[in-house]
Amino acid sequence: MSVTLDSPEQLPPAYRSTGGISRRAYRVLRRERAAQVGASIIVLLVFVALTAPILAPYPAQGRGVADVPARDLAPSWQHLFGTDHLGRDILSRVIFGARPALGVSLVVVLMAMLIGVPLGMIAGYRGGWLDETLMRITDLFLAFPPLLLAIVISALLGPSLYHAAIALVISWWPWYARLSRTVTQSLRQAPFIDAARVFGVREPVILARHVLRNSTTPILVQATVDLGTVILAVGALAFLGLASQPPLADWGLMVADGRETIQTEWWISTFPGIAIFVTVLGFNLLGDVLRDVLDPRSGS
Amino acid sequence: MSALLEIDDLRVDFSRDGRVTSHALRGVSLAVGVGEAVGVVGETGCGKTLTGLSVLRMLPDNAHATGRISFDGRNLLGLSPRELRSIRGGRISMVFQSPGTSFNPVFTVGHQIGLVASKHLGTGKKETERLVSETLHAVGLPNPDSVMRFYPHELSGGMLQRAMIAMAIICRPSLLIADEPTTALDVTIAQQILRLLRRLQREQGFGVFFISHDLDLVSDFCDRIAVLYAGRVIETGKAEELLRRPRHPYTRALLEALPGRAEPGASLPTVPGTVPTELDDAPGCPFAPRCPLVTELCRQERPPLVDVGSGHTAACHRSDDL
Amino acid sequence: MSSALLELRDVVKLYPVRGSGRKGASIRAVDGVDLAIPAGRVFGLVGESGSGKTTVARCILGLTPLSEGSIEFDGVDLSAADRRARRALHREIQLVFQQPAAALDPRMTVDRLIAEPLTTHGLARGAALRERIARLLDDVGLLPAHLRRYPHELSGGQCQRVVIARALATDPRLVVLDEPTSALDIVVQAQILNLLVELRDRHGLTYLLISHDLSVVRHLSDRIGVMYLGRVVEEGPAAALLDDPRHPYTQALLASTRGRGSASLDASAPLEDELPSTWELPTGCRFHPRCALREKLGRPAACETIDPERVAVSPDHAAACHFAGGADAGPEGLRS
Repeated sequence: MSVTLDSPEQLPPAYRSTGGISRRAYRVLRRERAAQVGASIIVLLVFVALTAPILAPYPAQGRGVADVPARDLAPSWQHLFGTDHLGRDILSRVIFGARPALGVSLVVVLMAMLIGVPLGMIAGYRGGWLDETLMRITDLFLAFPPLLLAIVISALLGPSLYHAAIALVISWWPWYARLSRTVTQSLRQAPFIDAARVFGVREPVILARHVLRNSTTPILVQATVDLGTVILAVGALAFLGLASQPPLADWGLMVADGRETIQTEWWISTFPGIAIFVTVLGFNLLGDVLRDVLDPRSGS
Repeated sequence: MSALLEIDDLRVDFSRDGRVTSHALRGVSLAVGVGEAVGVVGETGCGKTLTGLSVLRMLPDNAHATGRISFDGRNLLGLSPRELRSIRGGRISMVFQSPGTSFNPVFTVGHQIGLVASKHLGTGKKETERLVSETLHAVGLPNPDSVMRFYPHELSGGMLQRAMIAMAIICRPSLLIADEPTTALDVTIAQQILRLLRRLQREQGFGVFFISHDLDLVSDFCDRIAVLYAGRVIETGKAEELLRRPRHPYTRALLEALPGRAEPGASLPTVPGTVPTELDDAPGCPFAPRCPLVTELCRQERPPLVDVGSGHTAACHRSDDL
Repeated sequence: MSSALLELRDVVKLYPVRGSGRKGASIRAVDGVDLAIPAGRVFGLVGESGSGKTTVARCILGLTPLSEGSIEFDGVDLSAADRRARRALHREIQLVFQQPAAALDPRMTVDRLIAEPLTTHGLARGAALRERIARLLDDVGLLPAHLRRYPHELSGGQCQRVVIARALATDPRLVVLDEPTSALDIVVQAQILNLLVELRDRHGLTYLLISHDLSVVRHLSDRIGVMYLGRVVEEGPAAALLDDPRHPYTQALLASTRGRGSASLDASAPLEDELPSTWELPTGCRFHPRCALREKLGRPAACETIDPERVAVSPDHAAACHFAGGADAGPEGLRS
């Protein structure tokens, strides 16, 4: 054959394989301090959420059982974070509070992605009137102040964590629609999308196989950071009494609990507040380094 | 011809996390005479662009350069950042491949060219404007006074490339480094730009360091050609002579692979294998694994770059057989 | 020519222009193109930016709908084809891209990339699929070790081989080559050109080669068409057209090629001005503002007023210039 072959030993090692996703993750974890801190926080969070009944020193109080004689105790060896107005151990409640925090943020972000990403992709790929229509609908939802929405929903349906989640999903999906639309629009021009069309690949398959898989990086990075932001938002809603209701251990609710006595019994608001801060920080740091892990081209 | 620029044993290494990850340039030695156009050719990864960037010390942070680059009696590699800034754009300037990306999109073309002039020549506002207008006219742009007020996106590729050349020559440099200046342009526009450069070179007398992967183009424009392979110079010589009778098998392979020199439809002669990577440090000639004339000596001992007659140099043990 | 595999008749493609302050204006990217390519031949389409050659390719490949005119492949009108016929066309007409790395999904490995055209048309599965992929790899000169790699782990030449393997997967009859080697180094370019020639011979392919590089076009083509601002201004057998170009634009292109020696840069330029803006087409012959021949002939009025027809220089060589037959030729009564 007149065609010259690259023999195996001449395969340019400069194009060494960057490895699969696990190898990249390992490499990033080893090198980036941000990755190490972020990952540690999140792993800790998940662990705490999963083992709360075992981990908490006063699990019953974590769930809400009161112990009024022991109320308003400052931090001590018996109650590392002190007790609240109903005598409940704050450490235990902070531990239990990881559950609704993690749970609701996962649900909200997942639902927002499930609604927003497909809509954005279709709008971005097709363009034209479909794009216009979908974007106007998106604009409509974006214009709703999330807080107002939460108030309306809790007024109609009664305040609870689930209803707060619904309000947040409605407020959040448009951001994913916009993000995936932008990413799709830039991908649409790519030669490899043209290639798929020339091969006769059908549009839904093109969207799923080529567009979606090449959009994951920016969307997942956004989602990771959003996990933290949602926790903040839920915290705010809980603080206002629009989300979790007592006696549920919810960080936002706990901060609200102690707000009148912040000068004297500072520990009641402060420790759950720190929990929120650390959690959001962890997700933000993780989001920063996630791109390097997800993109097959990085590294080497 | 006295040397305007002399590069002596330039070596550039890249490192990451304290380890050297590549030997990009392995001892490049080149000279550009006053008013001379030297073409630096090679394939992707040979180090030609890196050599050009090294002259202006525009290397990334993780690059380490050793050797000597003599210009105006000084070693450019040893200059302080302040001294370098006065040279860049003033005594030595550069023209890049993609004119669009060299201009800031939010400022007018005239403003950006004017900045170069006022910075190096210290001219006032009116004087700068006049100079910019003159230079734009010199590069063949019609209505220079109105072109000056255009934004980069309002100019076509050819016009923008002319504007970039204007920016490069406004301070009358002694050396112009051109990195693939016509690769992104249409054939007819590229021809115009080359003619323009030739004319300006004759009028102003600057030397040109012309980087390209296109042997044909470089043979038209340049007086002398240097061929790079895997971070080393493997042949230099006068343009016509090097093309007529190359003295290194790699140069010959490049020439024979050009479709323009073969019969239509005929199989083009090629060489097997790929360029060695930037970490390979095997003894012997870097081209040995692919060379049709290879001998045992070639594999053991790296041939030095020697004179093979009237200023023509080649790094090959068998250059006499070519 | 009913034996033509691909035939374009008066193809027009307009792009509406918005926001330029002109209502209803449009860019005539392709403005009346006639072309015929017989089976088994290579047709080279030459032109610079704005010539419309890429748009012609996109229309043939079905990536862009036509505004007017017709394209027939093996007698089947592309725009009239039903779904089944169109799916068949996706197998029969394929494309090799200019930027090889960009033409491959960066998230897919080589084996999935080559499998895609086969699985899309249900041409092979399981063991038969693997065997077919192995044969395609061998055809283009790649190794099984390349199968597990991502595009960014391959060199430019290797990427291009993957693109070619994909194009061949469905046994097409017509392959559109859009600047197949302009992004490649000299030696790699030679390898790919050799590969393209060999594949054409082995599989009996027909090529439409689009390029601005005349040396590549000359090397591969049987017939050449030169495009300028949406029209084919000259067409003929490769050797005849390159040796004896009859349209001033073709002459200017040839005079702009590299490798003709240092003196070529000192002679006067073949073309000084830039392309005119695409929606203000010159009157009459679209090339007249830049035409050296018009200057030489003292600016005959015909150039500015009459759009030239194709003048036959020989039975299979034609140029759209009033004076293509020689300086004495020209429209009746309008010689200057």
